Amino acid sequence: MERRSFHDEQSRNKRDSILLAIVVSAVLFALIVSISYLFDPSSVAIMVPLGIMFTGIYTWSSYQYGDKVVLMSTNAQPAEGNKYIYLNDTVEGLAIAAGIPKPDVYVMPSMELNAYATGKDPENASIAVTQGLLDTLDRQELEGVIAHEISHIRNKDVQFMTLVAVLVGIAGILSHMILRSWRFGGKRRSDKNNGSIDVLILGIGFLLAIFAPILSRLVQMAVSRSREYLADASAAEMTRYPDGLADALEKLGKHNRGDMKVSESVSHMFISDPNKTALDALYSTHPPIEERVKRLREM
Amino acid sequence: MIWTIVGAAVVIGGALVLIYVNYYNKIQTLSNRIEEAWAQIDVQLQKRYDLLPNLVNTVKGYASHEKEIFEGIANARAGMVTGSRQARVEADNMVSQMMGRLFAVAEAYPDLKAQENFKLLQEQLEGMENKIAYARQFYNDTVLDFNNVVTTIPGVWFAGGRGKEDFLEIPDEARTAPKVEF
Repeated sequence: MERRSFHDEQSRNKRDSILLAIVVSAVLFALIVSISYLFDPSSVAIMVPLGIMFTGIYTWSSYQYGDKVVLMSTNAQPAEGNKYIYLNDTVEGLAIAAGIPKPDVYVMPSMELNAYATGKDPENASIAVTQGLLDTLDRQELEGVIAHEISHIRNKDVQFMTLVAVLVGIAGILSHMILRSWRFGGKRRSDKNNGSIDVLILGIGFLLAIFAPILSRLVQMAVSRSREYLADASAAEMTRYPDGLADALEKLGKHNRGDMKVSESVSHMFISDPNKTALDALYSTHPPIEERVKRLREM
Repeated sequence: MIWTIVGAAVVIGGALVLIYVNYYNKIQTLSNRIEEAWAQIDVQLQKRYDLLPNLVNTVKGYASHEKEIFEGIANARAGMVTGSRQARVEADNMVSQMMGRLFAVAEAYPDLKAQENFKLLQEQLEGMENKIAYARQFYNDTVLDFNNVVTTIPGVWFAGGRGKEDFLEIPDEARTAPKVEF
């Protein structure tokens, strides 16, 4: 029965992705045309084909390069070399168990315990884990977390989740990246004569930051929490050891303070909420860890 | 009247052909997937086969008197690439057990243990052991899917006499499948 259910999940994600692309393209196109109409009614004749072209390119490149944007925005570096043999082996083993090609593996420098998967389909997918996760979890716990991410890839959750993050949340991702580079490296660049360009980019960063929270809320509303429970269950099936993931989740809950400072537009992709905000009390982006652990322990 | 009967026969015949094609393709696809799953195991067995002499030679430099273990590994290693699938997987399991003893021996030689090359080999070989276990699991999952189709109605009518495929069994498998409900 479980095999059937992951095929169902795949077609649900495919359908959701297409629906999302259509809705976002339509809204964007309507916005472009109506704004240009307000400024100059005669410009509509040019803006309709231009708008179609723009929304088409925007949607296509979000699908095509969304994973690269997400990886860049979370500061993920490729996991290469002898230091990461063990991580790469674990990912490869579980990819074999799931019957998918081995995803690319990335490491984020944070000491929080977290991980996510992204990609446009199971053949072009990536998994990113934090350095803290590698340092803290034991073998079975790490296998549990990786199996959870592999399940997201096999179920095609990553396709939909990446598309949502980039298509809807791009303003949040961009403003986050711009403001971060300004905070950490602004001084050394602005003493050159391209200072005015820096100011312009920074201005765009602040402008986008105004829209970011609204769009991020839309992102989170689009992503249902049932995907997390399903990926947990698939991970347990794959590793034949539900307690591995349950132990890992308990460690995540105990250890993490939620200060990874990633854009809210991508926070739904992580296995545990990377940012703790005041809004969490009203609407949490992640199902409660206690409930997930309880379900795993009962398997 | 006659045309009604002819029409009904054509519709029913067409439906039967469609059902046949559907099940024929399903059975072929699953059968191909079993071969794919075996190829995954084969790749890992081959890699391990190639890497083992490096490990043995490295340890030999320090503990040349452990002849019994070296011979055990050599014998089991030869079985990894010949014989039936079941026999090859069992040979690999034997290699894992002998390797466990080899690593236990290595504990007594701090110089050997500290060697970068040895550590790397140990990590790689153990990683392959894990991958083989997962590849075997995927193989057995696929065989189960195949067997479910060819032994139940209506699949069994279209299987053309194809019987069940064998699982790859490892006697002392510690992992058992948990019950998963969605």
